[in-house]
Amino acid sequence: MPEPDRSRWHPIAASHDLPFRHVYHAQLLGREFAVWRADDGYVNVWENRCLHRGVRLSIGMNDGRELKCQYHGWRYANRTAGCTYIPAHPADAPARTITNRTFPAVERYGLVWSAEEPVGEVPALAGVTEGRQLVLRGIPVNAAAEDVAERLRSYRFQPNGALDGKDAEVALEAASDTSVALRSREAGADTLAVFFVQPVDAGRSVIRGVLDDDAEGPQRIAVMRHHNRLLSKLRDEAEREAAGKPAPASIEPVYERVSAELAEMPEVTPHGRKAALRVEVARKFAAADGIAGFELRPIKGLLPTFQPGAHIDVHMPNGEIRQYSITNGPGESASYVIGVKLEPDSKGGSKCMHETVREGDVLAISEPRNNFPLRRDALKTLFIAGGIGITPLLAMAQALQNQRLAFELHYFAQNESQMAFRDRLAALGSSLRPHLGLDPAATGAELRRLLHGYEAGRQVYLCGPGPMLEAARSIAAELGWPDSSVHFEYFKNTNTIDDSSSFEVALARSVMTLQVPAGRTILEVIRENGIEMPSSCEQGACGTCLCTVIEGEPDHQDVYLNDAERRAGTKILTCVSRSKSPRLVLDL
Amino acid sequence: MITLYDYELSGNCYKLRLLMSMLGVKYKAVPVDFYPGREHKSEWFLAINPLGQLPVIEDDGLILRDAQAILVYLAARYDPSKKWYPVDDPKMLGEIGQWLAFADGITSTSSAARLHDGLFYDFDVDAARAGAHRLFRILDEHLWFGEQEGREWICSAPHPTVADIACFPYIMLSEEGGIPRQDYSAIRRWCDRVKRIDGFVVMSGVFPASPARAA
Repeated sequence: MPEPDRSRWHPIAASHDLPFRHVYHAQLLGREFAVWRADDGYVNVWENRCLHRGVRLSIGMNDGRELKCQYHGWRYANRTAGCTYIPAHPADAPARTITNRTFPAVERYGLVWSAEEPVGEVPALAGVTEGRQLVLRGIPVNAAAEDVAERLRSYRFQPNGALDGKDAEVALEAASDTSVALRSREAGADTLAVFFVQPVDAGRSVIRGVLDDDAEGPQRIAVMRHHNRLLSKLRDEAEREAAGKPAPASIEPVYERVSAELAEMPEVTPHGRKAALRVEVARKFAAADGIAGFELRPIKGLLPTFQPGAHIDVHMPNGEIRQYSITNGPGESASYVIGVKLEPDSKGGSKCMHETVREGDVLAISEPRNNFPLRRDALKTLFIAGGIGITPLLAMAQALQNQRLAFELHYFAQNESQMAFRDRLAALGSSLRPHLGLDPAATGAELRRLLHGYEAGRQVYLCGPGPMLEAARSIAAELGWPDSSVHFEYFKNTNTIDDSSSFEVALARSVMTLQVPAGRTILEVIRENGIEMPSSCEQGACGTCLCTVIEGEPDHQDVYLNDAERRAGTKILTCVSRSKSPRLVLDL
Repeated sequence: MITLYDYELSGNCYKLRLLMSMLGVKYKAVPVDFYPGREHKSEWFLAINPLGQLPVIEDDGLILRDAQAILVYLAARYDPSKKWYPVDDPKMLGEIGQWLAFADGITSTSSAARLHDGLFYDFDVDAARAGAHRLFRILDEHLWFGEQEGREWICSAPHPTVADIACFPYIMLSEEGGIPRQDYSAIRRWCDRVKRIDGFVVMSGVFPASPARAA
């Protein structure tokens, strides 16, 4: 058999094969696909194997937003096919390279079309009107596509208006090696039928027929039964013939390595912070009093996979860089939605977003990073948000709700008009618990009530203003919550950074020893010496520049690490923290 | 209480666990070591079922064998809604009877192929697989036109019946006998619907479906 043409579009399913919450098992030229429609209507065509153990994803679960593998529960996002959660590693964010291969999908004429490397558009069908066609039942045939297509040239059927007749004249209007267009006429009735033969594998195919007619009710069923009967007969004949020939060898699909764009690191910018993506502000809206919502759509292609808790760097027109959490629920992968609170003492970040950035503007953003990963193995999860701290926790709450896991979202705000993203909040139902207009003392009392009665298997996630987080963390500790169950994210580091020390940093993997003088950060010094290090907020809040300490005593000045991690002294935020010992050995 | 003589990996025993779970009927399972112990051919079990086959139930002094017969009995006795086996609807009983016989056909083909591949039974596996494909083609066509006509289940009732339960297990387990269901898209969608019936339980090799989309 000659090498198959992988650039041609073929139908791989009918639209009616893809009801919500189903995974269809398709195959084209030997390659299997898991095909599923997300609740937002997007049709995903993916390589039919989990990246973990190779189990077919077509037996997985489509929860409307993500596809979950049946074997070990790895979850993959709508559109991007990026892994969002690995149950065996509940505290970790999956690497972005864990992204399944996707294939294009176009719905046209009631069929779903795909190809491995398509060239051009899905072919237009002369004589068939999009939206008023009748799609026949697909007929799988254990015979080669070209043999089936050959047989279809002499297929005889009655026009829809004369199903009971016997003498229709059928004319061949067009044909290729995988398609046939036939017109049947009798006594004034006239029906055009176009048949595509989907090459499933070397010796297997599916006949997919489309009629230019939108018959309704019993007539529609009668037409479909008419063709089903005739095509089944054609199938039986084709299979009898094929059974007499030696079975062709299956087509072996080539499984590609991870794509170059996933495997490559984004370009380096002079300040070391990367903004690999260009997005358009598709919508700017009032998310609440003083909070602007931005919906950011990709200029081309798809946005990278995000996980709940992830943030992006937004590079603003005025040169400032700020971090914003992605508020999207799982599978909402067409755009990122962020919320920006106008800070009264804004140094140009939130002010620029509120006053300068408009719909239609293009912004540079970083890939999403997740330094605030959500465990999904808790018996119950508490989210405690203060003000704009709602944004990462909203994404998390939506993820747990989608998986029907137990949680409560406690939202502290001044009043109802300051509660952001009310449509998303409303969808959380009774799991949302607003706490409005409380002063610090009343907030403390409420936090004490909420955190009372710690039990194993509970997790709490905190995000909000510094004083509130300090209060919540100390109350949690007092009420017996272990550090490992208390997760928090600060907006900013309000500690006064003492950079007066000078010390030596040894980079164990790079075999380099560097001097960090007073007034310079570890991050600056190692970058200057050519060592790649990601960073984001550069003030010790986000956790991006986290590094492992092999030897020495770190001088922690960040707000990212918890008390246990600080005491252990095995991690350091290189953007602000320093060394108490004269020498620090880092795993770099 | 009902006693079920049960083997975990048996699709025919699973039918009964499935229906009893959906009906909310409590039962006590007595495990029978079908493989490798061949306990279903032991003297004590042959005294209960001389055919030496699983499953068997004991209920209220009645000893009953044959999965399809037991489904009929359980539904007729324990389903007050009379939906699973509509005893007052002769046409429906006829339809159900027809598909229960079809389920026996699935057992003698799809289940046979699985016993050959999984438990080393000396069957003609090619014939078993070809037979299963023949039946699956017929059922797929029936279910496909059912969807087009607004019918979701095997019989024409607007709700599932014991016919769906009788056919389901050895269709779901067919891959274990080397019988792929890729070509049976309507069967695959119907399997999702069965898995979404309240009270659905799994067995080894049968996975759950995701929840249906909220209306």
